[in-house]
Amino acid sequence: MNLVDVLEQSGLTGRGGAAFSTATKVRAAHEHGAGLLVNACDGEIGAVKDAFVVEHHLPELVRGATLVAGTRVRYAAHRGSATEARLRAAGLDVLAAPARYVSSEETSLISLAQGGLARPMTKRQPFVRGGSDSAGRRITPTVVLNAETVWRIAQVVERPDGAQWFRGHGLPDEPGPRLVAIGGAVPRPGVVETAAGVPLAALLGAAGADPGRTGPVIVGGLGGTVLRPDEAARVTWSRAGLAPLGGAPGPGVVHVLDAQACPVDALAAWFDHAAGESAGQCGPCMFGLPAIASDWHDLADGVRAGGSGSVSSRGARARLARRAESVRGRGACRFPDGVAGLASSALRALSDHLDDHARGQCVPGRTPRSSHEHALAH
Amino acid sequence: MSTRSRTDRPTLRVDRVACTGHGVCATLLPGSIRLDEWGYPVVLTAAEDGVDDGDEARAAAVRWCPALALYADRSS
Ligand code: SF4
Ligand code: SF4
Repeated sequence: MNLVDVLEQSGLTGRGGAAFSTATKVRAAHEHGAGLLVNACDGEIGAVKDAFVVEHHLPELVRGATLVAGTRVRYAAHRGSATEARLRAAGLDVLAAPARYVSSEETSLISLAQGGLARPMTKRQPFVRGGSDSAGRRITPTVVLNAETVWRIAQVVERPDGAQWFRGHGLPDEPGPRLVAIGGAVPRPGVVETAAGVPLAALLGAAGADPGRTGPVIVGGLGGTVLRPDEAARVTWSRAGLAPLGGAPGPGVVHVLDAQACPVDALAAWFDHAAGESAGQCGPCMFGLPAIASDWHDLADGVRAGGSGSVSSRGARARLARRAESVRGRGACRFPDGVAGLASSALRALSDHLDDHARGQCVPGRTPRSSHEHALAH
Repeated sequence: MSTRSRTDRPTLRVDRVACTGHGVCATLLPGSIRLDEWGYPVVLTAAEDGVDDGDEARAAAVRWCPALALYADRSS
C-alpha cells in the first residue's frame, strides 16, 4: 500500500495547529514534486514538543521525512536553540529561523528557505504547487510539515497495522496519540503524550496542578482560548469539547496562569507580546493587534484611566470585541485571527475580573511584577 | 471571506502584504469594499450588506490598485 493510502487510513492530521489532513498534503507534495520543510521551531508560546521529538525520536523523524520527500528535506529550527544544535549534530540540513513567533509560520519558512525574509507570504495559491511572493519572486514547490506530524508518519508506516494502531488512540474524528506541552504555574511543566478526548483536568493533573484551583488556563497559545478555572477542570481536550468555548487543541500547548496573580494583567502581557510579534506587513494586523493590546490595557487600568467605572468599561469591551472581529481573516497569515480569538475568549472568561477592574478593585500594582515574566516564560 | 453573490464570479481578495491602504479599491467598488479604521479594505460579503458593483468596476479596481494587491481568486 502506498504512503498516501496508509496516511489516509490513519486519519493523521497536522500537529502544528491547523489539523489539516496529512494524507492530502503529502499527496499534493508528490503530485507537484515538492520538497519538504520539517518545522521543528516550537513557534507557539510554551511549545516544546518539537524539541521533544528531535531529542527523543530523531531517527524516526528522519525516516518519516525521507518517506515523504526522499533527499529533498530541510529541518527548520529556531536559531540558537538546542533543537538546532541537535539537528546539526546529526548532520541534517538545517534552516535556522529567527526566534520570532510568525517566523515559524509555514509560508515564512518557505520564504526564508528560498532566500527571502522569514515573514509570511500571501498564499495566492498553495505553495506546494510553487508560485511567487508579493514581490514576484519565484517560489519552488514546498510542503511544510510539523516535526511531530513527520514523526507520526514514520510510526504509522513502520508499525504493524500502523493505521489501526494509530486509530486505537483518541477519538474517531481526531485519532492518534498527540504530544501536549503543559506549562505556566504548574509544579511539573513538560511534555505529555496523550490523545484527543482526555479530560483537560487529567493533563493539568499530569503537570502536578490541582484542577479547579488553578488560575485561568490558556489552551492553544497566543492564538488560543482562555478558560476559567472551573471550565478548565471539566472540559474535554478535543475539538468537540473545546468548540463550545471557542477553542481547539491547536498546536498542543496548555498554559496555566498563576491563581495568585491578576489574570487581566497576565493577559495584557500576552497581548503586548502579540502586538510586538506582528510581522508588520499587513495593515489590519500591524494596526489591529496594537489596538487590541491598548484596549486591553484600558480595561486593566479601569478606574485609573479616568473612566466612570462599569459604563466606560462596557464601552471599552465592545470596542475591543469589534476590533478583534475586524482583524479576522485579514492578514497574510492566520496570526491576527488567532489573537482575535484569544481576545474574545479573554473578554468572556475574565468578565468578572474585568468588572473588578472597572470598579478599581483589582489594583494592577498589587500584582507582583514577576507574574508578567512568568506568563511569557517559554 | 467570500464576496460571491448570485453570480458565479471568482472571489475578490486582497494580498495583505502588498496592500498599502491607498483605498482606490473602495472608491471604485463602493458597494463591496469599505475601509477599516486604519484605511485598509474590508471586502464585504452579501451577509455584510455588500452590493455587487458589476464586472467593469471590478476589473477596473483590479487594474488600478496601485499595489497590484487586489485580485480575483479563481481557485475557490
Ligand atoms: S497577518 Fe500579521 S503576522 Fe501575518 S504576515 Fe501579516 S503582518 Fe505578519
Ligand atoms: S487599492 Fe489596492 S493597495 Fe489600495 S487599499 Fe485597495 S487593495 Fe489596498
